[in-house]
Amino acid sequence: MEISKPSSRKVQWRKISLPYFYLLPAFLIMGVITFYPLIYQVIISFTNFDTKHLLLGLNSPELEFIGFKNYVDIFTAALPVENFNFFRVLEFNFWWALSNVILHVPAGVLIATLLNTEGLWLKRIYRAAYILPVVIPPLVVATIWTNIFDERYGAMNQLLANISTYFGQAGPIYIRWFEDVKPPIPGFLPGAPLTLAYYAMMIANFWLGWPFMSVVATGALQSIPRDLYEAASIDGATGSQQFWNITVPLLRPAMIPAAVYGFTISFNLFNFVFFMTGGGPARSTELLVTFAYNLVRNLRWYGVAAAFAVIIFAVAMIVFLITNRITRATQNYSEA
Amino acid sequence: MASVTYKNVVKKFGDLTIIKNLNIAVEDKEFLVLVGPSGCGKTTALRLLAGLEEISDGEIVIGDRVVNDVAPKDRDIAMVFQSYALYPHLSVYDNMAFGLKLRKTPKDEIQRRVNQAAEILGITDLLQRKPRQLSGGQRQRVAVGRAIVREPKVFLFDEPLSNLDAKLRVQMRAEISKLHQRLQTTFIYVTHDQTEAMTMATRIAVINKGNLQQLDTPQNLYDSPNNLFVAGFIGSPAMNFFPAKLVKSGEKILVDAGDFKVKIPDSHSAPYKSMDGRSIIFGIRPENIHDAEFAPQNIHGEKVSAKVDVTELMGNETLIYLVSGRNTFVGRVDPRSKLRVNDSTQVVFDMDKFHIFDASAEEAIR
Repeated sequence: MEISKPSSRKVQWRKISLPYFYLLPAFLIMGVITFYPLIYQVIISFTNFDTKHLLLGLNSPELEFIGFKNYVDIFTAALPVENFNFFRVLEFNFWWALSNVILHVPAGVLIATLLNTEGLWLKRIYRAAYILPVVIPPLVVATIWTNIFDERYGAMNQLLANISTYFGQAGPIYIRWFEDVKPPIPGFLPGAPLTLAYYAMMIANFWLGWPFMSVVATGALQSIPRDLYEAASIDGATGSQQFWNITVPLLRPAMIPAAVYGFTISFNLFNFVFFMTGGGPARSTELLVTFAYNLVRNLRWYGVAAAFAVIIFAVAMIVFLITNRITRATQNYSEA
Repeated sequence: MASVTYKNVVKKFGDLTIIKNLNIAVEDKEFLVLVGPSGCGKTTALRLLAGLEEISDGEIVIGDRVVNDVAPKDRDIAMVFQSYALYPHLSVYDNMAFGLKLRKTPKDEIQRRVNQAAEILGITDLLQRKPRQLSGGQRQRVAVGRAIVREPKVFLFDEPLSNLDAKLRVQMRAEISKLHQRLQTTFIYVTHDQTEAMTMATRIAVINKGNLQQLDTPQNLYDSPNNLFVAGFIGSPAMNFFPAKLVKSGEKILVDAGDFKVKIPDSHSAPYKSMDGRSIIFGIRPENIHDAEFAPQNIHGEKVSAKVDVTELMGNETLIYLVSGRNTFVGRVDPRSKLRVNDSTQVVFDMDKFHIFDASAEEAIR
């Protein structure tokens, strides 16, 4: 076939440019709504940006570039905010994410294993039921649990009162779950005292968190060949020995990425914490994300908030890199 | 070392009866093969013995102990699974040592037994590997090794060779036979492959539709099958069957298959003397059908006209697929045979080696 040169070049050019042409709208939208605000935020994190600069933005005559002052203020707790210590919040935030995963994964695996029992009645109904918490909006969940932990009318205090009545200690119980600042177990987490609100949130988030782990574990359980258990039972393994020697090691490749995912979700669980405790009492349950929101929403310190967001980004990046490492290091046993 | 007995064993899954009244007595140190087509209940029979399924009725005895309610781990058996069922997260060594560790065997004893088994099976240099790093044949050996180290009374094999390629299968067949001679233990082996059964077994139990068809030595099964099913299942290519009638002609007894008639030699005719007109199925194995040119001289040969449909050269023999009227059958003839496709010819039936079955009961008449 004979093709004249100029037209061949034209065809070539179209071939190269066409994909970019199609991608252009996406690039433009990404640029406006993602990259521009990101860069803008990094810039204002070096300024004293606040409400009076909102109108003119970076063109405001009074806007001052103050270098790393915002960052230094955050790290040295020099912000004029009550009960704020960056490193305490960071420590609490890590512990919060970790303690959630430590509870959710074993519970999810255990319940999935129990529900995987052969010949169990209504298996599908249980499986459908435990998925419910995942699909209920977080605001609703937080409201329900806030009510449960209500000091006067909450179900939790009434339950505790009933229990104590049973043991001969009549009378109502008024535990101030969200107000009491005295940690029930002093010194449990050095540097970041865990108030009752933390435990209330753990209970509520447990209800919210284990079903996901259970779903993952159920899928993984069903891919473990049955004859491994049969071989083990002939080899002499009891039920619990089979669980520890076969189920647990074979669930690991599925559960470690799920745990990593659960950790990141809990780490940034903004809406749940915000609606339940608002970070209180005395900022004892504040996460990095809820504090950043406070800086903007209540204090309107845009410059400081921007610096804080950059710090969160750095922390999240480190968390991501570490967890990514763990996930990739998780070897799959399946036959390659 | 122990004998194994199935006494009136029944297994039902819901309304479905998989095993109907199974009776087998396996002697100590015997290599018994359970053979039958897919779904005949042979694997279920083995799993009942292992304790992986509960029996619905009857008794299973290992040694002199009824094991109906004994847990698998306390039956003193070891099983090799079709899928090998190796623990994927454990090394070969740990796979083999797993059962011993659970039984709290001393460490040096575990090491001794595992190393010894590995040596027998030639997998000593694989001990540190994970199952996924092994080939099919190597995995098979590990699975066998895991059974050996336990030093059980009875070894159970559930189609252990079906996932291997043909060449490896032949090799492993010989190795398992050797292992049986070496260990001097009772082996019970399930397969659907009659060649495996014939080559390895001390005795074979042929099972079909949950019923034991015949339990005998390989040679006896081959030479005198009790019924039509055993006759057709044992031997490859399978025995040829012809629906026919017994006809008396003077003092002679003839088999009348419609398209051909063959005479039963006097030396074999006694059982059929009083059966004039009876409907039967006449069976003859392919190797007892000869090309007339190369037929042995000292047999009671009967000529049958047929047309050659297909020929298969095997080198040491030739299989010829023949058509005689509405009957098709196979002969395994001398490789020098000059028969070609579409040749009309006369083949010779060796009438010293025929089988006759009742047409309705399908039982052998002899």
